[in-house]
Amino acid sequence: MTDATLKDTAIRRRFSLPAIPVSVALAITWIVAMLVIAAFAEKIAPYGFTQLDLRNRLAAPGNVAHWLGTDELGRDVLSRLLVSIRISLLIAFGATAISAVVGTTLGFLAAHFRGAVEQLVLMLTDFQASMPFLIMALAVLAFFGNSLPLLIGLMGLFGWERYARIARGLAISANAQGYAAAVRQLGATPSRIYLRHILPNIASTLIVSTTLVFPEVILMESGLSFLGLGVQPPMTSLGNMVGYGREYLTRTPWIMLAPATTIVVTTLAVSVIGDWLRDRLDPTLQ
Amino acid sequence: MGRYVAIRIGRAALTIVLVVTFAFVVLRLSGDPALMILGPEAPPEVIAAFRKAWGLDDPIWLQYLDYFRAIAQGELGRSMRDGRPAIQLVLERIPATLALTLPAFFFKVALGVPAGIYAALHRGSGIDRAVMMTAVAGFTVPSFVLALLLVLVFAVQLGWLPSGGQDSWRHAILPIVTLSLGGAAVLARFTRSAMLEVLGQPYIRTASAKGVPWRKVVTSHALPNAAIPTVTILGFMVGTLIAGAVVVESVFAWPGVGRLLVVAVANRDLAVVQCILLLVAMTMVTSNLIVDFLYGFLDPRLRAKGAHA
Repeated sequence: MTDATLKDTAIRRRFSLPAIPVSVALAITWIVAMLVIAAFAEKIAPYGFTQLDLRNRLAAPGNVAHWLGTDELGRDVLSRLLVSIRISLLIAFGATAISAVVGTTLGFLAAHFRGAVEQLVLMLTDFQASMPFLIMALAVLAFFGNSLPLLIGLMGLFGWERYARIARGLAISANAQGYAAAVRQLGATPSRIYLRHILPNIASTLIVSTTLVFPEVILMESGLSFLGLGVQPPMTSLGNMVGYGREYLTRTPWIMLAPATTIVVTTLAVSVIGDWLRDRLDPTLQ
Repeated sequence: MGRYVAIRIGRAALTIVLVVTFAFVVLRLSGDPALMILGPEAPPEVIAAFRKAWGLDDPIWLQYLDYFRAIAQGELGRSMRDGRPAIQLVLERIPATLALTLPAFFFKVALGVPAGIYAALHRGSGIDRAVMMTAVAGFTVPSFVLALLLVLVFAVQLGWLPSGGQDSWRHAILPIVTLSLGGAAVLARFTRSAMLEVLGQPYIRTASAKGVPWRKVVTSHALPNAAIPTVTILGFMVGTLIAGAVVVESVFAWPGVGRLLVVAVANRDLAVVQCILLLVAMTMVTSNLIVDFLYGFLDPRLRAKGAHA
């Protein structure tokens, strides 16, 4: 960041923009809470997430022993919820990281080599963007069966094309700018130019894209798990819980409502943070 | 124009080639295709015949070409479950899916596009905020949650509508509402931002400045330009008509292509999965192609650019 833009943001901060809007503060609080839960799920959980309590099946929420009630096997819904949050976030973070790295790398390669490499990358992004991801994911799951690493890897294919497009476009324009030319003249290797000079300059746009992809990964994973094709029991994820809770919708809707609310609030929180970051970091992406 | 059309058709063909390649690679990577397609209980002579028919003992590049030839001839394998041709199983389910996705498509457009345009024209108003909030909700509430909430309210609590099955038109209401609401929210948000971007352009200011009435500025300057990105997303939505109801069909036990796909994936009925994959690819490519041609119609600049690309 140059001195001029630093001064500019400092001035704006002093005069007009309040530091953080309430909605964003709430969203950040929620996400931090989710991260803490994900990190310590098994320590916080009052029961083991597979622990049965057959005498207390389908207990209503609000009782002392089980705050969020129990499911059809007497398993504590709160404990399951906490562990589900861990699995769902693990998948979402893992997948988002993979797609950001893969997409950005391919975008840089396209920007660096141009020509045939660029055409190939563009063709792949077109292909990815033109196929509904759910269908491709289902096809891969059908062919390969299911496991957690495969699921994370598969989800990591989601959204890479957006990073690739953005990284390519921004890297091409950055290459034309003085600073990239200057370090190149000084003899920097391409990887140094891209990683040390161009990447920090375009990072804000990529971070904003991450906040768009992340909630979609959560929704996609929970959708697959809901269909019974994502995370497999005895492991549990948010979508999984909704899927099983659906069987007991009439009598015990809380089994399904607790994870469903978590999914909705989490995606909402990330979107709110993303919108805010976009306004702060990247006015061109409105 | 001829060159533009040729380039687009070339690209569409290339996408199909990529999808078929994807299916081929995934199929080969996942194990012996003979066992995968025919199932582990197939008698050895059938497997041998299959290997011969599909040329599985040939070199891999020849297999790749053969795979293309087979698909071009509509040989998509048989369902593991009842031995019927996969393509037939899939085609049978299409009308049921369209019975949901076509009305839903209509409602999405009828609700989402006007709401987005209105919100953009009255930016910052109460209605704008309401539209945006609904749009955000439409994005963050996954369709299976929305579907279950609708079931909970209208089927379980109020008892007005059935919660699943396909016995009468009343069974279609909740699935269609689920699909429409989510799609309309996405479309409203998209149309709004497309419209806002156009309204910020200098030519809109020019038109206003030279005294064109606002209504006319909107109808003849803003709307046609905002139509371009909106048509893109509509094209994508048309492409999902065949299999866009995977989740909703599963929730409502609606016997369409989406549910067939989920069951086929769960049973690893590969011929059916492969068939649906290719069918979806065809629809997506066709609708993208139509969108590309519509661009040429809506925006002469793109046509010119396409000619030089």
